[in-house]
Amino acid sequence: MVQVNRRTFVIGGAAIAAAAVGAGVALWRPGRNAARDGAAVLAMVLPDADGREQALAQWRGKVLVVNFWATWCAPCREEMPQFVAAQARDGAKGVQFVGIAVDDVDKVRVFARELGLNYPTLIGGYGAIELSRTLGNDLAALPFTIVLDRQGRVVHTQLGPLKAARLDSLLADLAGAG
Amino acid sequence: MRVTSTGSPPRRLPERLRYAALALAVAGAQAHAQLFAPGEPKLLPPEQAFRLSARALDPATIEARFDVADGYYLYRDKLRFSVDPVGAAAAALPPGKPKHDEFFGDVEIYRGVVAVRVPLASAAPGRTLTLSADSQGCADAGVCYPPTHGQVRLTLPERAGKPGPFVEAARKGWFK
Repeated sequence: MVQVNRRTFVIGGAAIAAAAVGAGVALWRPGRNAARDGAAVLAMVLPDADGREQALAQWRGKVLVVNFWATWCAPCREEMPQFVAAQARDGAKGVQFVGIAVDDVDKVRVFARELGLNYPTLIGGYGAIELSRTLGNDLAALPFTIVLDRQGRVVHTQLGPLKAARLDSLLADLAGAG
Repeated sequence: MRVTSTGSPPRRLPERLRYAALALAVAGAQAHAQLFAPGEPKLLPPEQAFRLSARALDPATIEARFDVADGYYLYRDKLRFSVDPVGAAAAALPPGKPKHDEFFGDVEIYRGVVAVRVPLASAAPGRTLTLSADSQGCADAGVCYPPTHGQVRLTLPERAGKPGPFVEAARKGWFK
């Protein structure tokens, strides 16, 4: 996880005005404390609901939204319709949602059908929880969502539901910036 | 906040390099704000949200107890108990509060303190046993924890009398 110590914050606070003029947001680039490398996300390979292995690297270059979820997680199910809507709306702009289900394939199939899921969801089982821990999900809770930009950098991680306004502004920034 | 993507670091004048550290600090603060949205709930790890303990009531009965923190709940139908090596008969789960789930229908949940009597398959006076409890719960803040597995090791009394002391679950082996 990104750690910003107290001293850094103090310096950062003092520098905000100067930085706004001088450095601006152009300094947003892979670096020590800025966006993290998403290589670990893109390195994942998991089976889909039909048992075929899928590498997340196949979506390199897209704005990738990776959502860890489960049918036993009501908040997960509640936020997924907005992912379906965003995939339909922004898919042509290079936005790709990918679910990783901490669940059994049978339950995933039933739920995907009920929801009309329009993006792939891979089957991680309970092992996917450990996987999500290595990606910053310290509490191992769901839903957990990671957003990668087109360069494969982690620009947002979210434990708990991703609010619609937040998701929309992220996608507008990232899909528009490409 | 706009997220710009530059393929390579922009060239800088030497005097601006002096600001590089400060600017990086700002970028760090921005990254922090970006990665941890202010609305993100502060959450407990599951072993604190759902504290498991148990005590021996008599040579043939264990009482398992979950202390569910405020703002958290456990699903009644996800609770499972077992006792090794003696074995357990079916535990009588207290009624929960009804909750409607769009996918699973009407379910029951527990908040606060949940005490469950776990009868042993046979009395085992003086024996040291391991109670295992599987549970699954969520936080009102909008997250759920995967099914978790807790264990409590306790020694049964030689004869019926006062219940034994509560023993906290061991931390290890929490995740299935």
